[in-house]
Amino acid sequence: MSVLPLAILTPFTFIILTLFIKNVRTRNFLSVTLAIINLGIAIYILSAVNSSEMLKTQMGSWPAPYGITLVADRFSAFMLLMSAVVFLAVTIYSVQSIDYERLKNNYFLFTYGILMGVNGSFLAGDIFNLYVWFEVMLMGSFILISFGGERAQLEGAIKYLILNLISSLFFVAGIGILYGKMGSLNMADLAYKFSLTGDFPSLFEPSLILLLVGFAIKGALFPFFFWLPASYHTPPPAVSALFAGLLTKVGIYSLIRIYTLFLHYYDYFWNPIILWMGILSMVIGVITATAQFDFRKILSFHIISQVGYVIIGLAFFTVSGLAAAIFFLGHNMISKTNTFLVAGWVHRETGTLNLKNLGDMFNRNTLWGVLFFISAFSLAGLPPLSGFAGKYLIIKAGIENNQILVAMVALFVGLFTLFSMVKIWIEVFWKNTPKQEFSEKELPKAKYLPFGYMITGSIFLALAIIVMGVWAEPIAGFCEKAATDLLNNQKYINFVLQ
Amino acid sequence: MNNNNFKNIILENIVTLFMKVMVIYSFYLLLRGHNNPGGGFIAGIIASTGFIFFAIIHGTKALQNIIKFQPQLFIASGLSLVFIAAFLPVIISKEILTGLWIQTKIPVWGEFHLGTPLIFDTGVFLVVIGVILTIVISIMEVLKWN
Repeated sequence: MSVLPLAILTPFTFIILTLFIKNVRTRNFLSVTLAIINLGIAIYILSAVNSSEMLKTQMGSWPAPYGITLVADRFSAFMLLMSAVVFLAVTIYSVQSIDYERLKNNYFLFTYGILMGVNGSFLAGDIFNLYVWFEVMLMGSFILISFGGERAQLEGAIKYLILNLISSLFFVAGIGILYGKMGSLNMADLAYKFSLTGDFPSLFEPSLILLLVGFAIKGALFPFFFWLPASYHTPPPAVSALFAGLLTKVGIYSLIRIYTLFLHYYDYFWNPIILWMGILSMVIGVITATAQFDFRKILSFHIISQVGYVIIGLAFFTVSGLAAAIFFLGHNMISKTNTFLVAGWVHRETGTLNLKNLGDMFNRNTLWGVLFFISAFSLAGLPPLSGFAGKYLIIKAGIENNQILVAMVALFVGLFTLFSMVKIWIEVFWKNTPKQEFSEKELPKAKYLPFGYMITGSIFLALAIIVMGVWAEPIAGFCEKAATDLLNNQKYINFVLQ
Repeated sequence: MNNNNFKNIILENIVTLFMKVMVIYSFYLLLRGHNNPGGGFIAGIIASTGFIFFAIIHGTKALQNIIKFQPQLFIASGLSLVFIAAFLPVIISKEILTGLWIQTKIPVWGEFHLGTPLIFDTGVFLVVIGVILTIVISIMEVLKWN
């Protein structure tokens, strides 16, 4: 048996077990254990893919164009590993951060539902199957975002739910039209059929546009991003960290997959669209973030801007551009999640995330300050952290591709990112606590020593950021191989259909 | 039927019968499902429709008395069956989810096929019943509709 189904069966096992177990402590223990097992499986898949190029499983022994295929190439293996790292950190963090009431009501069941959907989407070799995994993931996220039923939370949940349902509608409508035209759902088979059509695009445009819009909504790209900052600051911090790390990135993963398999045959039409979506997401995300004064809202707007970097890397459509996009995607998952984790600690300590009321957190707990410094300035792109390597690769790819203007915009956006991060750093960690807020009651100094599950999860991610920054060269080399595989889609087609 | 002492014996008995018919019919649909219209999902929906009718007339307490287990346990056991059906082929080193079949001849019946898709469908059947009953019972309890 191939190892690929294990990535889906592990979360499924947890879901079954947690329904039988009533004790909250046992459940917590089990969730952390299975998150570690999931990380182990992801590492195993990565090493297997690295030695044997690609892996596949034909579920139910039905051969490729008819049955459901699970495929892992280097790109999906890399994404699996990154999501496993993020998931492990958030799980450890949640054990302490999420309140007892939510834990008792099977909080981890739904996070594992998300993990199952995410792993499935990364492995899906069949476009309808991809849709099904998206739905699995969305079910979990719908429940998590409204879980607990606080007032602000429901407001965000409604926006999130409606926009994501619309995007699912577009996605499945696109699949339907595509299937009507091509008679196949297997992505490799579809790509093969696209390659035969030559320049005869008009037949497919509606379905491809629907697919692109669906993924753009999921990935929070420029004209469709507004649901994200409206909803990500409402659920408990651990949940928004999980969403920031995993959900939008799956939309971007699918967009890259679809672009390299189908859309690039008509790239005279698609390339400018993708490029401008990327540029505008980048610029608008970062400029709107400067106007915000809520910790998590700033970070939410930055998700949009960071996703733009990935998309311009895709739009360059060279080996270096795609490699940079993959590297940046991985870097962004861990750094962004860790900033949200720090926001969760600040919220737990002070009960607010409004920058105007916060201050002096660095003296409260130095270690958390350092953790925020690492992740935020990795986002801003300071060496030797992972963001520096990511931005360097993107800008280098832009210059090599003669897109000097785009590269300049990316640099400029990096400056604004730095501005936002410095703003959070100064407002939350450096400046003195505003007097009027805490005059009546003195807040206790450092409720607990700097250990515990929350800080363990955050340290784990911070170490991952440093590792990714310091050992950027081998990782970028791996991403380059992944990008070569993506560009040479004949290899993917042959491997799946053989 | 909650605050006044209105009690309609005919309705209560008919609904009880109706539920039994629906559950039996759902088993029929479950068993014919592989080659004919039917299967775990629709069978689960039909069985839970019967249970919901029963709950509307008799109240959720009475429903919980006749189904004996928590609906969550239905979900859990259904998912376990799905897992077993998916994982059995792996043990004899085939791809996951491959259908395994036993073919025998039973004297009166004739050809008799039994396979992992039936286990899978039974799992789906239990999950659908569990999910629908969880949703409906909690809504009815919140609205005090019993």
